[in-house]
Amino acid sequence: MLSYVVRRCLFALFVLVGVSILTFLLTRVAPSDPAARWVGPRATAEQITQARAELGLDKPLPVQYMLYVSSLLQGNWGISIRTHRPVALDLQQYLPPTVELIVFSMFFAVPLGVFLGVVSAARSGTPVDHGARLLALAGVGLPGFWLAMILQIVFFKWIGLFPLSGRVAITTSVERLTGFLLIDSAIARNLPALGDALWHLVLPAATLAAYPVGNLARMTRNTMLEVLGEDFIRVARAIGAPEARVYFKHALRNVLGTLLTSTTLIFVYSLVGSFVVESVFNWPGFGSYAALSIMVIDYPAIMGITTVVAVSYVVLNLINDLAMAVVDPRIRLS
Amino acid sequence: MTSKSSPYGTIQLLRILRRQPLLFAGFVGVATVSLLAILAPLVAPYPEDAGSATHVDSRLLPPSADHLFGTDQLGRDILSRVLFGARISLSVSVAAIALALAIGVPLGVIAGYTGGVTDESIMRGTELIMSFPELLRAMAVMALLGPSLLNAVLALAVGWWTWHARLVRSQALSIRETAYVEAARAMGASWFRVVFRHVLPQCLVPATVQVSMDLGGIILTFATLSFLGIGAQPPTPEWGLMVSSGRTYFLTQWWITLFPGLAIFLTVLSFNLLGDGLREIMDPRMRGHQRRG
Amino acid sequence: MVMMVAPALAVSAEEVAVYGYNSDPIVFWDPRDAASDETIWMNNVYERLLHLNFETGDLEPELAMRYEVSDDGLVWTFYLRQDVQFHTGNAMDAAAVRDSILGTKNRGKGLAYIWDAVKSVDVIDGHTVTFRLEYPAPLGLSAASALGAFIYDPKYVDEAWYSAGNDSGTGPYAVKSHDGTERIELAKFTKYWRGWDGQHFDKVVFLKVADATTRRLMVESGQIDFTNQLPPQMIADLGRSSSVEIVKGPSFQNLIAFFNTKKPPLDDPLVRRALAYTIPYADVITSALGGFGQQSRGPVPYGMWGHSDRIKQYTFSMETARALLTAAGYPDGGFKLVLTYTAGDDIEELTAQLWKSALAQLNVELEIRGMPWESHWDYAKGTDPLKRQDIFMFYWWSSYPNPYGYLHYMFETEQEITWNLGYYSNPVYDSLINTANRLTGRNQDEAIDMFIEAQNILMEDVPGLAVFDMQYVRAKNADLTGYVDNPIYTNVVFWYDCHRK
Repeated sequence: MLSYVVRRCLFALFVLVGVSILTFLLTRVAPSDPAARWVGPRATAEQITQARAELGLDKPLPVQYMLYVSSLLQGNWGISIRTHRPVALDLQQYLPPTVELIVFSMFFAVPLGVFLGVVSAARSGTPVDHGARLLALAGVGLPGFWLAMILQIVFFKWIGLFPLSGRVAITTSVERLTGFLLIDSAIARNLPALGDALWHLVLPAATLAAYPVGNLARMTRNTMLEVLGEDFIRVARAIGAPEARVYFKHALRNVLGTLLTSTTLIFVYSLVGSFVVESVFNWPGFGSYAALSIMVIDYPAIMGITTVVAVSYVVLNLINDLAMAVVDPRIRLS
Repeated sequence: MTSKSSPYGTIQLLRILRRQPLLFAGFVGVATVSLLAILAPLVAPYPEDAGSATHVDSRLLPPSADHLFGTDQLGRDILSRVLFGARISLSVSVAAIALALAIGVPLGVIAGYTGGVTDESIMRGTELIMSFPELLRAMAVMALLGPSLLNAVLALAVGWWTWHARLVRSQALSIRETAYVEAARAMGASWFRVVFRHVLPQCLVPATVQVSMDLGGIILTFATLSFLGIGAQPPTPEWGLMVSSGRTYFLTQWWITLFPGLAIFLTVLSFNLLGDGLREIMDPRMRGHQRRG
Repeated sequence: MVMMVAPALAVSAEEVAVYGYNSDPIVFWDPRDAASDETIWMNNVYERLLHLNFETGDLEPELAMRYEVSDDGLVWTFYLRQDVQFHTGNAMDAAAVRDSILGTKNRGKGLAYIWDAVKSVDVIDGHTVTFRLEYPAPLGLSAASALGAFIYDPKYVDEAWYSAGNDSGTGPYAVKSHDGTERIELAKFTKYWRGWDGQHFDKVVFLKVADATTRRLMVESGQIDFTNQLPPQMIADLGRSSSVEIVKGPSFQNLIAFFNTKKPPLDDPLVRRALAYTIPYADVITSALGGFGQQSRGPVPYGMWGHSDRIKQYTFSMETARALLTAAGYPDGGFKLVLTYTAGDDIEELTAQLWKSALAQLNVELEIRGMPWESHWDYAKGTDPLKRQDIFMFYWWSSYPNPYGYLHYMFETEQEITWNLGYYSNPVYDSLINTANRLTGRNQDEAIDMFIEAQNILMEDVPGLAVFDMQYVRAKNADLTGYVDNPIYTNVVFWYDCHRK
């Protein structure tokens, strides 16, 4: 067991280092002048040269990389060329809104997707199955930007049920503690703000949920069908266990591993994939920060973003694998 | 008779299609889109509108008999542009998938069959690439190389080959141990021959099933990149680009965004249905359970 | 329902104004560095010596009550108000003004160049300050500039202090809080020298709303009081809403198309002139601008001094273009040009597409490429002129009301490529505009004549062409009064003067 843990951790470290080198090289190779971006649109040639020296862009590449890594480890993630603020501060600012949105969205998407998948598997071959599969595939195939716009028009402009954009109404203010509005307003016992924040979460979360629901429904259905063909299920049925228990207790348990992996992947994907939703709903989060930074090749910000994403991916995967290894001895012995 | 006893005779085929309405729907959808894409120059009422033609006098017209899908901000017929857009979406996606397969399948087979250091390094390489979220990867490549259709194909293929490599590798791993391959080796076949004539063909089946679903995903990613402005460039009638440029008019001239968006949705859905449906009928584990229901 | 409750809570005793802007309002915090979007909030937090009234063309007093200019135009004396306090608590005096302006000039960032003519600044007494110039320049215009002329408390120059969200201004509003770079909230400064009699806003919020549709919906529903540029196509619809008022006004912004004078076939002035006849100007104004603008006459925009009817203007004429191309050796066209513009800008995109359509008729292929601004600019600065674009399209505007800015930056010979993106070099032109610039302080009429002559040189050589002068079209809450459109203070609302009926 220990050797497995060690192996997995080493591998995780390897991936992190590799990702950081790769991103670093990519941003340095980019045909764009970060110094010009830093100084702003009406800069003179002298101002740009000055900026280049200030930003340390005239040093050789390996030196720049080592400087970067050492400052990263000390907590200094550089200054964003676009926002002129420390990248660490930017990330602190923009991660919570997106994480809040994704978690809120998954909170409903995961059970819904799994339920859809189980129903599909249980009634496989019937119109119920076909309908559920169609829904799942539609969820996966809907362009997010299109869905967002439609929801906005229908639920704000026509029906007037949900707010147009933003995390809260313009005049609502919540004292910032964690950056998660739901938590901060709860701590401050500011119930109207809490309600306002929840109300603003609905449409963006619904848009974001389409893909996970579809994906999880498919995953669940297919894995369940595999499991349902296994011997132990036949035994459970032969013993006389009720169908519901067969599905939800015996079969589902074995599906958990795949579910966990899928959920992890979707979470990481949504960190950046949320930018379309964020753009339409004016949600100041990580996704739009990532998109804007990439478009202007803001290299400190890009490094910060990829680090966050890669670390999340690696850490979540690690936890996932370790949890599975605890549950399933076959894995750690392979 | 052979046709009745072989599992894929016509009658069996029809039976399968009847039991798999989703597969049928997907097949019809894909066939329709492909046909429309191929026939676009003949079917489109205003084919020049898909290029650089502009008609300033007929801007922003709602759907009518003359223009079934209405016209956009430069007076171009949206129906014609949607039809030509099918060509672009399909050709870019197919090219990207073909490139991804061309890179991924051989690499996956070599990794799975050879094992050892080669396997380890290829797998670590794929994991490295896969830890970048897909959109981030594609955007980074496009931002570096500049927006063009060719670069889009490269950007998309860069991500997808890893997936196929891993899939094929696990197939190759299991095939490696079969008697069939051992026999080939015993007969003195060269490594090259064994890998490409014996192992590779067997790995292609799961790959092909996956391809249809992948096509749906790639079309969507490409549309998203174009929506962002780093995919297809104007005046290319690419669907994502059309949705993006129509956003300004969205509230009143809704047809400019509705129809391209619908085109993306229905096309991706069709490919998904086809892929999912194929998976259903080809996966033996599924088949076993289905006969029950 | 929460939706009902939330607006009810918003109607508190405080009057809050909201400005929805299409980009991040916060770029730099330091008033010495500010060069772009910060203008919308900094002009409510900071003030300057003089204010330029667009309608009358007069320089009006702000922090300076009056000013005097010596006969030779080299000495400017400003008499300051005595009752002004900085938000930091210190009083404004002549020494503060001197240190403030010299601080901006010496730091060399942002719009520091507007003080280039200044040789020295002297404090005469507590409230009198004198500027000595190297050559006669219109210093009043610099003192009234939208950016780069702020009087701030010179005791506060620490970057970290500014970046934490502090300000050292004298204006009616002070920075209260901010959220990242997208939102900034100002609250009224009770000790403001103009006082708070009458109706005023207590707070102003500046919010970034990037999506135009979202911004439009917010104006319609009253969530924001004012927004800057909305796409012209939306304006027509919005105008029908009774809660929204459309404000149109001239701007000093125009669209420029530079021709790469170092790359064939555009190295031939005949070809460049031919191309100038192929832009469908009327269609561009209608389709791309929605009618909100007019064709340019030279690079100095309509409304700014230096613009004149005596400057040549091209027309849309395919026959003339064809004749010129034939004279240049391309009777049937047959070449390809690459045009780059800033990705995401609908107006530029539409203009480029209309041009492409027209050129197709002459068998000239125009490939249009939208690129993010940084890549766009970098591409134009590439080392090999043959590898650069053929046509570079972008907007130019100036926060400093002087035609010299347009003519100098875009068309004067450059050693290192910055804004002269046609790569034009004409010593006659260079000396003409520089002489005119030095003359402006002393004899503006003669300077104007020289600027006109210079612009006509440009129209003959066509290293670049101004396509249209834009009108700014903005949407605001119909109940909002007190807004005066002033293109010099681009996108600025002086919220102190406004209130909601």
